[in-house]
Amino acid sequence: MSTRTRLLLFVLPALGVAALLVWSFTGLPSFGHYPGPYGNVVNAQVVPVRHATNAVASVNFDFRGVDTIGEEFILFAAVMGTSALLRVQRRERQEGSSDDRDESHPAAETAGAVQVICMALVAPIVLLGIYIVVHGHLTPGGGFQGGVILATAPLMVYLGGRYIVFRQVSPKGLLDFGEGAGAGGFVAIGFIAMLAGAAFLENVFPLGKASEVFSAGTIPVINLSVGLEVAGGLLLVMWEFLEQALVVRG
Amino acid sequence: MHWLVPLPVFVPLTVAATMAAGSFVFGRRVADVLALLTAVATAALCIAILIHVGSGRDVYWFGGWKPVKGVALGISFTVDTFGAGTATLVAVLMVAAFSFSWHFFDETVEHRFTILMLVFLGAMVGFSLSGDLFNMFVFFEVMGVAAYALTGYKVETRAPLQGALNFAISNSVGGYMVLLGIGLVYARTGALNLAQIGRAIGGHGPDGLIIVAFTLIFIGFLVKAAVVPFHFWLADAHAVAPTPVCILFSGVMVELGLYGAARVYWTVFAGPFGAHGDALSHVLLGLGVLTAVLGAVMCFLQQHIKRLLAYSTVSHLGLFLVGFALLDHSALGGVAIYVMTHGAMKGALFIGAGILLHRLGSVDEEALRGRARHMPWTGLLFVFGALALAEVPPFGTGLGADLIEDAGSKAGYHWMPWLFGLVAALTAGAVLRATARVFLGLGPREVSRFSADGESQEEDESETQEDRGRTPKSMFIPAAVLLAACLGLGLVPGLAGRAEHAAVRFQDQHGYAATVLDRAKATTPPAEVSPAKWGGRLYGLGALGGALALAAYALFRNQIPEQVRRAGRALSLGSAFVGLRRIHSGDVSDYIAWLTLGIASVGGLFSLVLR
Repeated sequence: MSTRTRLLLFVLPALGVAALLVWSFTGLPSFGHYPGPYGNVVNAQVVPVRHATNAVASVNFDFRGVDTIGEEFILFAAVMGTSALLRVQRRERQEGSSDDRDESHPAAETAGAVQVICMALVAPIVLLGIYIVVHGHLTPGGGFQGGVILATAPLMVYLGGRYIVFRQVSPKGLLDFGEGAGAGGFVAIGFIAMLAGAAFLENVFPLGKASEVFSAGTIPVINLSVGLEVAGGLLLVMWEFLEQALVVRG
Repeated sequence: MHWLVPLPVFVPLTVAATMAAGSFVFGRRVADVLALLTAVATAALCIAILIHVGSGRDVYWFGGWKPVKGVALGISFTVDTFGAGTATLVAVLMVAAFSFSWHFFDETVEHRFTILMLVFLGAMVGFSLSGDLFNMFVFFEVMGVAAYALTGYKVETRAPLQGALNFAISNSVGGYMVLLGIGLVYARTGALNLAQIGRAIGGHGPDGLIIVAFTLIFIGFLVKAAVVPFHFWLADAHAVAPTPVCILFSGVMVELGLYGAARVYWTVFAGPFGAHGDALSHVLLGLGVLTAVLGAVMCFLQQHIKRLLAYSTVSHLGLFLVGFALLDHSALGGVAIYVMTHGAMKGALFIGAGILLHRLGSVDEEALRGRARHMPWTGLLFVFGALALAEVPPFGTGLGADLIEDAGSKAGYHWMPWLFGLVAALTAGAVLRATARVFLGLGPREVSRFSADGESQEEDESETQEDRGRTPKSMFIPAAVLLAACLGLGLVPGLAGRAEHAAVRFQDQHGYAATVLDRAKATTPPAEVSPAKWGGRLYGLGALGGALALAAYALFRNQIPEQVRRAGRALSLGSAFVGLRRIHSGDVSDYIAWLTLGIASVGGLFSLVLR
């Protein structure tokens, strides 16, 4: 199909789709008129019943926890898929890809200032990441957000010009383990509830006092598990890409 | 609320995660055995749930959050016969796929293939059992991500990545549409549970928001179901995906798209659109017939056997959509039987193709001409597969087709047997032609006459271990068992009646909502069930005759007298076919343009007729 035909075939119908969407949007409730009932019901339940001050976290990890397991496995499958699709590059390395390497460009030296800043940032980032993960049930944040922050700490090491150290602080086996154990941990918490005679993912842990770190039952435990999975998964993807870019391509 | 219900979803997911966590501990064979056992256990669990559900429904509330005053706080799996049956089909085909892949691939890197397959299994079962619109979307996406990666698994050549990319882009657009539709519905009702949404919008006639939301969700699922003009990705993905993955794709994943559309229609939208049933029916019938005919013609034009089978799947999805479009319990029962038996039959045929690839290193009909003479059993597999495609009794496919056609005739569509016959003849004819060429070496040598530019020949990278001496039993036995199941299902006494009753429950919107939200006991509303019969199905043999004639025509075309051939050419079918093949360009930008055209046309039609 020529570009012109394709453009015509796309643009006219796209206008039609846009018109349909505009038509449907006229049926939306007006701004500020929340028709309910879900939000109101959940808001009334979160603190008294669930002892969690972050309503979003209790929807994500408790009321609709199964959705979040699914989302966690979307990430898991994406990481596993990326790692599967990049695998041949390792065989390329075995076959010897020395001709890929450009000897005339030695690795650039990282500037001293960058090195210092990156190294200085590692510890605060780890601390912030852990803080965000463990306070997920109290304030905005949680395993997904904290996990991403945690994953940036080893990247700082890499940015500081220490690829070898990056590989030492995040070895492949450990990343695999974190990724799998994190994803499996969430499901395991669901099964623990079943073993205790409750429904899958029902809270069977002590609820504690709302607004304290040790409270809200399963939610902080799930957050830990998710944090592990997200940090492990992101680093695993980085690891595979860096492996390909730096080791195979020289 | 039975404790079995969450297990077939979360057991495979747990095993997948464990395998990833301990990828250095497990050896290749340990992982293979573990995966096969998991699939078998999942199948057993699904069957146990199917039996437990019986003629009722089981509602499982995750986290123990039961609905309060008709408001669902949590997520439910709402399992009925169709849901559990579909889940069973998924798990059984996964067992066949794992068995096939016992001798699969020279290398497995850290079990990524097995892990992705297990996630794929859990996601498809979850999608079948879920009773929550957003939860369905989540499992739909998990299924998608695993499927894209599995399609591109053979990264040694470029084609798999291209096929995976076409698949991923098209289906992601479908996913976004579903999500947008869910957003609209949630803005109106504040509900995500299917039963609760159905109740909330049931009382009113449809307005713009409801019609567009329906269009988006429905078409989003139909992209997965490969309905024309949303079907382009399917052949590209099937041509390059590893064989065990193809078994799942054609056998059940594509059908899950239609299952999702049907589930959402009968739990949510049947209320507001109930008064416009006829209009909706006409639009869907049009789409179904178009899909069935186009798929069947494209099927006959292929010489790459996996592509050929892929287009036959498109064609059958058209037939299923026709059955769905009748909005009738007998037809829907027929669709259910047809989907089950089609899954078994198509799974067996793909295994056949996989055996050819394993033994001879190609699945191209012309490249394989006569090279499989020493493999009579595999040849027989294809012949029986073709018989099942031709809906010959007592294959269960014929039983399913029968129910749909009867319902169609009752509704005044007397052309329906002709449609089914045409599809049966074309798809079975294509398989018979390929079988005769590959296993007997019949027919003239053809330079790929219709081969479009976009299709590359580099797709046939062998995917299996070296030993090519004989067909491993782990490949042949699952195919034989699947074909036997396809045949056996057609012989189960009273299956048609049971499927129709299950369809009545599937379509009973008020009963569904009452079981989910009011904890009412599920009942089967009274309905007329068509009498069990096999006698009237002589035309199944007619379709077989047609298939034989078509195959013979393709093979012995050159021996037809010149005058007749000239008359044939005057019909200029040849150039029409070339044009048809050129449309299937392999270029994903084209696919998206067609998809947009499809959304606009179907949405426009809906907005005209459903108000």
